[in-house]
Amino acid sequence: MEYIVETNQLTKQFGKEKAVDGVEIRIPKGEIYGFLGPNGAGKTTTIRMLLGLMRPSSGSVHLFGKDLKNNRIAILKRVGSLVENPSYYPHLTAYENLEAIRKIVDVPRARMKEVLKLVRLQDAANKKVKGFSLGMKQRLGIAAALLHQPELLILDEPTNGLDPSGIIEMRKLIKQLPEKYGITVVISSHLLSEVDQMATTVGVISKGKMIFQDSIEAMRRIAQASIHLRVNDPKAVHQALLVYGQKADIKENSVAIQTTADEEVASIVQYLVEQGFAIYRVEEEKRSLENIFLEMTKEEQIR
Amino acid sequence: MLSIMRSEWYKLRKSWVIWLLFIPPLIGLFLGQISMGDIGEANQWIIKLVMANATYALLFLPLITGVVAGFICRYEHQEGGWKQLLALPVTRGKVYLTKYILVLFLVLTMQLLYLGSMLILGAIQGITDPFPWEIVWRSILGGWVATSPLVALQLWMSMIFKNFAAPFSINVIFTLPSLLVINSERFGPYYPWGQPFLMMNIGGEGDNFFFIPWEQLLMVVGGSFIVFFFGGYLYFQRKAV
Amino acid sequence: MILRLLAVDFLKIRRKGLWLLTFIGPIGVVALQMVNYGVRKDYLFSLTDDHWQQYIGNVSAFTPLAIILGIVILTSFMASIEDETNAWKQLIALPVSKREVYLSKFTMISCLLFVSSIILLLMTYFYGLTLGLGEDIPYLQIIQYSLLPFFASLPVLGLQLWLATVCTNQAIPTTVGVISVIFAYSAMYLPDWVIWKWPSLDNQWDQPYLNGLMGIAMGLAIYLIGMTDFKRRDVK
Repeated sequence: MEYIVETNQLTKQFGKEKAVDGVEIRIPKGEIYGFLGPNGAGKTTTIRMLLGLMRPSSGSVHLFGKDLKNNRIAILKRVGSLVENPSYYPHLTAYENLEAIRKIVDVPRARMKEVLKLVRLQDAANKKVKGFSLGMKQRLGIAAALLHQPELLILDEPTNGLDPSGIIEMRKLIKQLPEKYGITVVISSHLLSEVDQMATTVGVISKGKMIFQDSIEAMRRIAQASIHLRVNDPKAVHQALLVYGQKADIKENSVAIQTTADEEVASIVQYLVEQGFAIYRVEEEKRSLENIFLEMTKEEQIR
Repeated sequence: MLSIMRSEWYKLRKSWVIWLLFIPPLIGLFLGQISMGDIGEANQWIIKLVMANATYALLFLPLITGVVAGFICRYEHQEGGWKQLLALPVTRGKVYLTKYILVLFLVLTMQLLYLGSMLILGAIQGITDPFPWEIVWRSILGGWVATSPLVALQLWMSMIFKNFAAPFSINVIFTLPSLLVINSERFGPYYPWGQPFLMMNIGGEGDNFFFIPWEQLLMVVGGSFIVFFFGGYLYFQRKAV
Repeated sequence: MILRLLAVDFLKIRRKGLWLLTFIGPIGVVALQMVNYGVRKDYLFSLTDDHWQQYIGNVSAFTPLAIILGIVILTSFMASIEDETNAWKQLIALPVSKREVYLSKFTMISCLLFVSSIILLLMTYFYGLTLGLGEDIPYLQIIQYSLLPFFASLPVLGLQLWLATVCTNQAIPTTVGVISVIFAYSAMYLPDWVIWKWPSLDNQWDQPYLNGLMGIAMGLAIYLIGMTDFKRRDVK
């Protein structure tokens, strides 16, 4: 498969500390890639290396199948980005800020109106950015990133500082990009819930290392629900279930089974009752993605 | 007030402003080194001081104090330091005064280190003439007093502008003309940026404690101090952060 | 591409007062002589017979200081425009080479300084005419003393541009600038190889254009070193 973004053993070292350590990112075309990790896990450093802002200490970055080291400019022509806080020139208007970028990327002037409309800033186009709210600045940053019709859009914490309606709006905007324009999107966040509803693939980074990278479905599968049986004698029930051929885990005063299919649960319960166990409760427990994400990154931090 | 002072001093100590203090003595060594010649004066120290003080007080002192004033505001301008500071239970007046006193303190230190560099240079060059302590003290302190209004203006400007270059430009625009103005007996005494030179010019009038008449000290240095200090003070009271 | 970058750089300095400073510099230098001659023209005339020579000397006493401080201010201003919201990262993530970004900054400030020098030339000439300094107008000297300091100060530009772009704290380049101006003011005591002496056009062979030539060569060298370092560095 050809990947739009591919990194090999990407590493960045600051002094003794490895901020990014052997990260391997694989992003196929048309995906929305949620790049997750707690603050300080190495997300921004990785993104800066993807954009050629920082040189990797070792390892390589390939975008569109080309080595970033030798084709930086050709690659960046096809990439739009917004890194951390939006950068802008406060003394210039929104329009002039875009013009400063347009002159470099060389697209028709009409495109500026298009992107301003896309992020709903057309009415503020001639106002100095100094007076913009944070949300407006962020939207201007997105407009700037989209100006040259990139094939890959890299957004670092784009919802930082946005209010809830701003976040929803941003999500709507980003979600339509792959379908409508065939853009591949990389979006970093420290909150799973933010990318949960739009990402198709997720990568989780913690302490500079990639600890999970797969489709969002695969992550959801980990989050699958389990059935907890509260019984009079968990140990004996556990034994009985093993005999029955059903995997189970002993919890404090209950037994957990992974299957959630109605039929199977029914027959297991029936079997246990026939064996003479008293069943007090049959409960379904769901782990949220957020919990899983927290667990993943926490384990990593303890280590 | 004392707690603000301690906090400000702490912030300052953690920055590299301390390194800035080593610039004046280095400049002193340089200027002392190139200052020699016959100016009809027997004492080698005085020859050195007259010439070195001239460049030092005319150009260096006014410009470097602007850098110090800019420095002391720099970390407040970054990432919203002002709003954090002023949201604390402190009055703006006290914050302003503290910053001003701190700059003055740094400038005094610079003056003393400059004096030190002259002594070192003399020792290296083996000057055996008696060191004219009395007039040197008067010039070191005089230069310091004369800078106080300029520091106030620079602090004011540094509070207005986020970037370093704008207050520095204003400083340059006022400092460069003093090279010419001090030559004029008519206008020299009235130009605030010329006062550091006049007050460090150890060949000047010697009747007073300082090298300029008391009236001039009060009117020009005192007057410009009042304008600049209270201008900055009022600005800071109203500054939107 | 470099022309487009340059257009962007000129767009960015709008409303920031850089053009104003570009004009104030040379106007200020000549205005000081207006005051000087306004106050004591008779005295100045009594000192020598070669009034043009004296006049050019008076003007050019300030030129090196003004040009060095101008460089310090313009480079620092330019850098602070990019630093304010860390626009470097946005700029460098665009399809531009870092070399060209640096070249564009260097070129923009050179343009401003050159405009300054032209204004200085015109101001020196026209104000000189009003003073009645004599019939023999030393055109060549006026041109030399207005334009050569620009070329002779290119090494200082190279140094200050490098410092301003790589330091986040603009106090550093500014402090270096203050030291530079002390050197420039003490030019007559410095050996010929010191770059801060060059804008004074003074050298042991009495050949002002030599300083211009050395300035171009050394300026180019320092520019290349600065650019190489800028390219090598991670973006802030």
